[in-house]
Amino acid sequence: MKISYAWLKELTAVNWSPERFTEDLTMVGLEVESHQDLAQAFDGFVVGVVREREKHPNADRLSVCKVDVGRGDTLQIVCGAPNVAEGQKVAVALVGATVPHNQHDPEGKPFVLTRAKVRGVESHGMICSSSELGLGKDAEGILVLDRSARVGQSLAKHLRRTDVVFDVGITPNRPDCLSHVGVAREVAMLAGTRIKVPSAKVCEVSPPASTLAKVIVRDSDLCPRYSGRVITGVTVGPSPQWLQDRLSVVGVRPINVIVDVTNYVMLELGHPLHAFDLDTLNDRKIVVRRAGTDAEFTTLDGKVRRLDKDMLMICDGRGPVALAGIMGGANSEISGSTTRILLESAYFLPSSVRRTARALGMSTEASYRFERGMDPEGTVNALNRAAGLIAELTGARVQGGVIDVYPKKLRPPAIPVRVLHTNKVLGTDLGAADMARFLRKIGAQVKKRTQKRLTVVPPTYRVDLTSEIDMIEEVARVFGYNNIETRTKAGIDFSTTQGKDSVVNELRASLTGAGFQEILSISLQQEQLGALEGKPAIRVLNPVSTEMQVLRTGMIPGALEAVRFNHRHGNTDLRLFEIGTVFNLKAAGDIESLDGYIEEVRLVLAFTGKRLPVAFDRKPQEGDLFDVKGEIEALLRGLCLDKYRFISYDARNTLTEPTVAVEINGTYAGRFGKVKKEVTDKFDIEGAVYVCELSAGVLESAWVRERKYRALPRFPSVKRDLAFTVDRFIRQEDVASAVRTSAGPLLESLMLFDMYEGSQAGSGRKSLAYALTFRAEDHTLTDQEVDALIRNVVDHTRSACNAELRA
Amino acid sequence: MLDRIDQTRAEAGSDAAGLLSAESLEQFRVKYLARKGAIAELFEGLKAVPAGERPLVGKALNALRNDVQSLYDNARATLEAGRGEAAAVDVTLPGRGRYIGSTHLVTRTLEEFQRIFVSMGFNIVTGPEIESEYYNFEALNFPPDHPARDMQDTFFITKNVLLRTHTTPVQVRIMERQQPPVRAIMPGRVYRNEAVSPRALVQFHQVDGIYVDKGVTFAELKGTLVSFARQYYGSSIKYRFRASYFPFTEPSAEMDITCYLCGGKGCRVCKHTGWLEIVGSGMVHPKILQRVGYDTEKVTGYAFGFGVERTVLLRHDINDIRLLYENDVRFLRQF
Repeated sequence: MKISYAWLKELTAVNWSPERFTEDLTMVGLEVESHQDLAQAFDGFVVGVVREREKHPNADRLSVCKVDVGRGDTLQIVCGAPNVAEGQKVAVALVGATVPHNQHDPEGKPFVLTRAKVRGVESHGMICSSSELGLGKDAEGILVLDRSARVGQSLAKHLRRTDVVFDVGITPNRPDCLSHVGVAREVAMLAGTRIKVPSAKVCEVSPPASTLAKVIVRDSDLCPRYSGRVITGVTVGPSPQWLQDRLSVVGVRPINVIVDVTNYVMLELGHPLHAFDLDTLNDRKIVVRRAGTDAEFTTLDGKVRRLDKDMLMICDGRGPVALAGIMGGANSEISGSTTRILLESAYFLPSSVRRTARALGMSTEASYRFERGMDPEGTVNALNRAAGLIAELTGARVQGGVIDVYPKKLRPPAIPVRVLHTNKVLGTDLGAADMARFLRKIGAQVKKRTQKRLTVVPPTYRVDLTSEIDMIEEVARVFGYNNIETRTKAGIDFSTTQGKDSVVNELRASLTGAGFQEILSISLQQEQLGALEGKPAIRVLNPVSTEMQVLRTGMIPGALEAVRFNHRHGNTDLRLFEIGTVFNLKAAGDIESLDGYIEEVRLVLAFTGKRLPVAFDRKPQEGDLFDVKGEIEALLRGLCLDKYRFISYDARNTLTEPTVAVEINGTYAGRFGKVKKEVTDKFDIEGAVYVCELSAGVLESAWVRERKYRALPRFPSVKRDLAFTVDRFIRQEDVASAVRTSAGPLLESLMLFDMYEGSQAGSGRKSLAYALTFRAEDHTLTDQEVDALIRNVVDHTRSACNAELRA
Repeated sequence: MLDRIDQTRAEAGSDAAGLLSAESLEQFRVKYLARKGAIAELFEGLKAVPAGERPLVGKALNALRNDVQSLYDNARATLEAGRGEAAAVDVTLPGRGRYIGSTHLVTRTLEEFQRIFVSMGFNIVTGPEIESEYYNFEALNFPPDHPARDMQDTFFITKNVLLRTHTTPVQVRIMERQQPPVRAIMPGRVYRNEAVSPRALVQFHQVDGIYVDKGVTFAELKGTLVSFARQYYGSSIKYRFRASYFPFTEPSAEMDITCYLCGGKGCRVCKHTGWLEIVGSGMVHPKILQRVGYDTEKVTGYAFGFGVERTVLLRHDINDIRLLYENDVRFLRQF
């Protein structure tokens, strides 16, 4: 909310600097987000008078002016405006001033004025248009000031732009601060002073208002109080300058004196008012009721609103004339010919106003205030303040009496506040007297006070104060948060500590060590991306854009998106990983409850480009499936030893080909493979992309955290190499497993160290060379023992795989 | 004297042949050329030489000094060029590279937060990102039809199911399963339905924290957050607590620290206030404790919530939150 410094000072008589206001209000919860000195924008601008004007010697459209700015010598200024003339009072920008709007710049950016030569003639300033001053749109000619303008006066002063405007963030619990008086009350609380309440005196004439208009509240559950006054003899014209200025400073456009006064009173006291043209009201009657069968209503902005039967409407003898607390109707609006008005000041139920405003997609100054909660006791005061002003400014007559429908008085609660409990929450040592003093400062009445307990009635405008904890917050606020001790218990209580490391930390450490860069993608994706894996994606009902419409069902599309991005920027050697949550619908789950959804944390790896970075003597080699497999094996071995297994997988429904499934302890953990070309094509990715996706949950449960030591071998090992040729379609794993079974328990390790397909292996054959390491736990193996094992291996492998031993 | 000069020359010559390392080179310099070295000593002896011989001896001494200096310079040049006997390898060739990985800035910040809070006795607890309207709002004292709901623009999946707008619902989830004392932080991803801009993205991370026990006070809350801030931002920071509003805490507070870019003088980053808002906090609202069945006469609690991305942007002087989720390796590899 915009708050005027001058206005605030007027209400509080507190003469603090803008900085002091900013600081102190921020500390008590009214965050001053910025303050803007309006005069600053006109630094270096003065009122001048054009003493002479001659045509520019070298340009038809330019004039050379001698301008008096009250400094002795006149300034020579070249001016391009057609309307410049001798004797005019004008706004002059002096050299060094920042001109708010550059009309030669397409974006109109401000510029600093320098001395210039225009077509050979020196120019020492600029005569400004209202557009250049940022005051209006008129850029055709210069702004001609009033004759009475004082030459040499600062332009800010002349334009009465000398105020400072604070932008104050008012939290939803403080509707009482949505006005200058509201903020002033907080200032008075801080300064220990009282605010100067504006006069709300009214001179009344007969006949009484009740004979001219009637108010019936049918639905007092939604409208607990409706107050009105009738004003006659109104002439609707522009407001006086002071009122227009005051509104403009805080960003409200002046319209006519009636509307301006209602706005002014709202900005001053907080209470929204509405003025009806009494003569447009059928039967000169107001009926406050739910819309019922009324289906449509045209608000004063000309829009047709579709009504719901429970929306609260202000009606006349025939039908709706206003959306209660939100906006008036076109049918009863104040116009130039209005002479009699009915001024409304009501208290509407906050939730009702909010429901209606939201249903209609509307938010107005009035609805914003009503839905947060206005002071039910403030209606008549606001009404009188406005009526008094209208009478004063237009010479209108206020008819006698307030029409006030208030069947059940709303009383603020009497709240017990326990001294001990307050100190227990705050960690303070305040006495009952301190607390009472603090609470009186916010306008509360302390009804009863013992050493142990206070009974406190909050002021009626503090609708947020309803329970003890609310009062405790007020005690803290007035006492000052920074006067409360900053304390920590000496010891840490470990009794509840139960944290254990998560596998994701382990994964990150392992992968960054292996040269993988962690990425993070947005969980919301465009529909096509979400659909890539062929699973129904969870949709968001109200997406911000089609780019972010569904939740990811898997991690691979996001990783491919990252690959695409980096390829496009010339980075093609990538090793990326991401750990994130994926979201899927549970089969036959209830989507109206959380049972309908499954969240799972997954790891994805993406690998493109060269196996190793370029080096001066290393031949660049593209990475392939076995680099990825090696990385996965290293990762899995680190986590869960040898409890994993790879299984060839049907690739029809996957993004990859080939696809290899990863099984850990017999549980499916995920898969890896080379992304199909049709998929990389969709992403405009050139070259191969390898991906792997694993479930973090499966890895977590398979993670072997507690490991027992196994005695190191005491006897030496014996190493033998064997090379076989086999049919080229025989799988390596089949040969290896034949070797393993036939070598028996003394085979400690088996490693494929060479594979070769070519003429020397024979046509249709390949050569596989293994290194075998044998070791016995209890003795040194002899050559004879190992020879016997090797013979067994060779025989068995020959019969099992048709493998021939190579010489 | 001339003999001693010759002798020194011969000795230096043979020493110079063995100058294959930087240490031996330095030893050579100290032995011969330093201010208290052999040559300086000879020059010292010049005073004792009869005046008639002095010019001759002086000349020989100067020649010796020049010779030894050039022996030294040559040896040094050889060594530096890597042409020593042991250096047949051009060590200026670049090392063969390997791929280098790093964790994401957001991850790293989350880990740092966790490390600090775990050291203060907090557990780490997580909760679902798809959340019910109840946990996200109602259980946290956001009544239906209350303007406080405008504070958090929400993505809905169905009428009652949404993407959580904060990690605060996890507070309720923990308290529902556990009796006090409860002390935990709740890191995680949250979503807000806001137009994408340099300052706002549909998702970000929060670290919420809660401590409910006997005797937990606002003073204790201040102590904990100050202790965190000193560990994370440095022990010299200045801080302030100011009143604020969250439906789930009362009293509510924002903690500011002096802007570490300008030291409190006011700059672009702190919007010329000299202060940076780092965490929202407050005493857990009694209604929330009552809803999970805690006895508010016996226990009190505090809660707080950090925005992780905000912290990252400020700390690393990044001006656009979108950079964090574009996954541009040119960006990621900087950290």
